[in-house]
Amino acid sequence: MSQGREPAVAYVSLAAIFFAFLRLGCTSFGGGTAGWVYREIVQRRGWIDEQAFLPDLTIGQGMPGSNGVNMAILVGRRLKGGAGAFVAPFAMLAGPFAMILVIGVIYGRMGDHRTVHAVLDGVAAAVVGLSFSTGITVIARGAAEWSSIAIAALTVLCVGVLGWPILPVVLGLAPVSIGIVFARGR
Amino acid sequence: MRGTPASLFLMLFAVFAPLSLLSFGGGNVVIADIAHQSIAVQHWTSDRDFADLFALSRAAPGPGSMLCALIGWKVAGIAGALVATVAFYLPSSLLLFIIAKIWGRWRGATWHLAVERGMAPIAAGLLLAGGIAVLRASPAGPVVWVAAGVATAALLRWPRMHPVPLLLASGAVFGLIDLLR
Repeated sequence: MSQGREPAVAYVSLAAIFFAFLRLGCTSFGGGTAGWVYREIVQRRGWIDEQAFLPDLTIGQGMPGSNGVNMAILVGRRLKGGAGAFVAPFAMLAGPFAMILVIGVIYGRMGDHRTVHAVLDGVAAAVVGLSFSTGITVIARGAAEWSSIAIAALTVLCVGVLGWPILPVVLGLAPVSIGIVFARGR
Repeated sequence: MRGTPASLFLMLFAVFAPLSLLSFGGGNVVIADIAHQSIAVQHWTSDRDFADLFALSRAAPGPGSMLCALIGWKVAGIAGALVATVAFYLPSSLLLFIIAKIWGRWRGATWHLAVERGMAPIAAGLLLAGGIAVLRASPAGPVVWVAAGVATAALLRWPRMHPVPLLLASGAVFGLIDLLR
């Protein structure tokens, strides 16, 4: 972590934050909203710089919750304190929430058409490909650590194959996985 | 909308709020549990409906976890959608807000790095498991496994590819095949 220089944070009004995140929410197709926050707030608007964004990204991805929503909270907080931390995620979710209800109603009207099911199956398959490729990339990044591959494989076995609920699996595996990394770090 | 007893809202909250706090690595990692709860435990959706709602939530903008809003809507209308959305985003958001205030002090601590790196393979495993849960719920059978495999390979080969055209292309191919049958 580079200390000394203060990360650059622009002065922006609460209304500007609201509209920026409203726009962001409505245009962030295909998931990966944390990446959209980066593109819109850091690259396009230049409201905060990378030095401020990257540490937030670590926290936002490390903590539970949607990465995009977490980033909205952290970036909003940097820009405008508690009020920003509330307004940014609220604005980011408002648009998609309204849109998804409209989509849901349309689906309710025509959902029983066979071809509609087929199209949605195709979309779902590609989305699963997105999850798979992300998961594989993350595992490969911890490269060749037998332990992290084993932990990931155990998670897949328990949750994906055996269908166990997530809570006991995470509670059981997290201490083991963290302990292994901790022990190796010494 | 049909009559919606308060217990339905309570159940929505009771299912989604704990998942909020478990979604280490993003909303997608708890998809397997959302599928399991919605289909097998609470009987909120059929396999068919879950597969459709999942795809719809990804065809729309915003976080993929807006799936919660769709399931809430299916269970108890707009109020249900609101309850499910708040339940899924509020607990993790509050926790994050509190942690963000004190996190700086811990940065660089050995145990802090160990937590971050130790949770990564579990999050990755949950992502894979979530994908498997969705494919299992899909009534379309082996074709979706094949299509998911092709999409996975394509995204691993071209990691910077924008996902939306891929989703649309896959949907279009499935739709065309269905029309030609």
